[in-house]
Amino acid sequence: MSVAVKWRIREELSLDEVVEKYPRFPRLIAVKIDVQRRGVHYTERSLGAVDEKVHQMRSPYLFGSRDGAIKPLPESLLLRDGTTILTDPTPQGQDPYLVDLVDGKFALTDGGKLIEFIDLWPKPKYYDKKTSSGIPMSHVASARPQRLNIFQSSYCHFWAEDRGCRFCDIVTHTKQQKDEVGVPTRLRPEDVSETVREALKEPGRFTNICLTAGSVLKGEELFDREVDFYIETLQAIGENFATKKFPSQLIGSAYNERQLARLYEQTGLTSYTSDLEVLDQRAFDLVCPGKSKWVGYHGWKERLVWAVDIFGRGNVGTGLVAGTELAQLSAFASEDNALAATLAEAEDLAEKGVTTVYIVWVPRPGSYFRDQQNASLEYYVQLAQGLHDLRAKYGLGVDFDDYRRCGNHPDSDLSRLL
Amino acid sequence: MAKKLTKDIIDLIHDPATTTVLATLDGNGFPEAVVTDTIRVDEHGNLLYLELLESSGTNRNLVRSIWFNGRVAVAVGGKAGERWQIKGRPVKTHITGDLFLQHYQEVREQRGDVELAAVWVIEPDEVADERFETRKSEEERAHPSFRHLDRLARTA
Repeated sequence: MSVAVKWRIREELSLDEVVEKYPRFPRLIAVKIDVQRRGVHYTERSLGAVDEKVHQMRSPYLFGSRDGAIKPLPESLLLRDGTTILTDPTPQGQDPYLVDLVDGKFALTDGGKLIEFIDLWPKPKYYDKKTSSGIPMSHVASARPQRLNIFQSSYCHFWAEDRGCRFCDIVTHTKQQKDEVGVPTRLRPEDVSETVREALKEPGRFTNICLTAGSVLKGEELFDREVDFYIETLQAIGENFATKKFPSQLIGSAYNERQLARLYEQTGLTSYTSDLEVLDQRAFDLVCPGKSKWVGYHGWKERLVWAVDIFGRGNVGTGLVAGTELAQLSAFASEDNALAATLAEAEDLAEKGVTTVYIVWVPRPGSYFRDQQNASLEYYVQLAQGLHDLRAKYGLGVDFDDYRRCGNHPDSDLSRLL
Repeated sequence: MAKKLTKDIIDLIHDPATTTVLATLDGNGFPEAVVTDTIRVDEHGNLLYLELLESSGTNRNLVRSIWFNGRVAVAVGGKAGERWQIKGRPVKTHITGDLFLQHYQEVREQRGDVELAAVWVIEPDEVADERFETRKSEEERAHPSFRHLDRLARTA
């Protein structure tokens, strides 16, 4: 299930041209962004050098990939500065970067030119184990270079009324993973606790635990059931720690003050993220019809600000799927207008203690926006710099969501300099 | 152009009695120098700097160096008067993987409950003998004018 997207139909600056135009922006971060924009394709030669005993292979994930397939490929890449690139396997016809072997080493190449030598993600030891209930631990917690991801449930209720976020393929990918790999759609807290316990036996391997799942609308109040699920899972994870709090991130729906307080007080959670996805009322209504109907743009923002009172400045964030604000049928026709509007809203949030990060939008075949093209590299570079500058201006930390604790936000990669 | 460290310098760096100082530049171009005992030499002759503090100024400066092709300097002082200055470039940082995990365990065995943020690989491109006697004879050979006349005066 792949879609042939024609690349470079627009006039846009190349990687080298962007790097030359923005000399204060790190080239390695520009490389990361461009690799995420265009995806990667592994050459046969590089796949021949992959060692499944050493390298982490693709494990269950909340979202699918640009090639629409579940294949035994390396999970992702690391650059020489420690920067993580979460990669998307991409059909060769869509002009991805290549992962190849150069002088016997893994390398990113483009048009026959060496871009950077890279490392493949190392496989954690627990990936070879199963829980007492017989589930592969890699299906319970997927690893990043320094983070554990727990996707406790992968169904999103917004999809029930065809109001899923337009860039998202969570439900189609969940079905595919369940059918092809047997990944459970809902995790048992006991399995999560056991997997975390095993992961902690590898000293130095992890610095953060991130939980996320689809939105659950049920409960006495909107999202009550979702919060219940998270509390149950976080409490199970907490059994493995000597301290009440442990470095952690929850990426959930927009909760009310009571729900936020419950999460903070009853669990070891240290940070809270709730993704607005786009920072503009009109774009939000178009890109996130479910979020728009049930909470609304301003309601979502308001709840983020409430969270600052509970979790503290620097511990609350919102994520953008950057580029979707420029999708067809969306809010902005020009990158300049989209950038200005996004940064203005991000500043409003930063003033109130909410930090904004973005991921590069990958148009996936299982999503409503499947056949579209993401924004230019220059746009993403300017957005990363703009969000970073706001964090510097307002003294906002992003420790819980930086290059190491997450690794999927070009803007928070820059916080290594703060 | 990478410079090879001699066995004498490598042994000196690994001697616990040796003092090492790592000098970096901050975002304003101001120098920052720290005394450190976490510099090693790997099998390729590169310096390894174990950074224990993610938020340290040195760590930030090393990130800036690897991003913008900056250089750093390491001064090495031995108990027998040896003095070396090694200049180089950070070429890689390990924040995960076997090398990182190995050093994570090592520093915790040596120091107790500490963190390891990164293992920086610094490739030497300049190595200079900074012992005073060496530098003095070099200067007198290259700059004979750089001396006070009284040092040349006839003694009665």
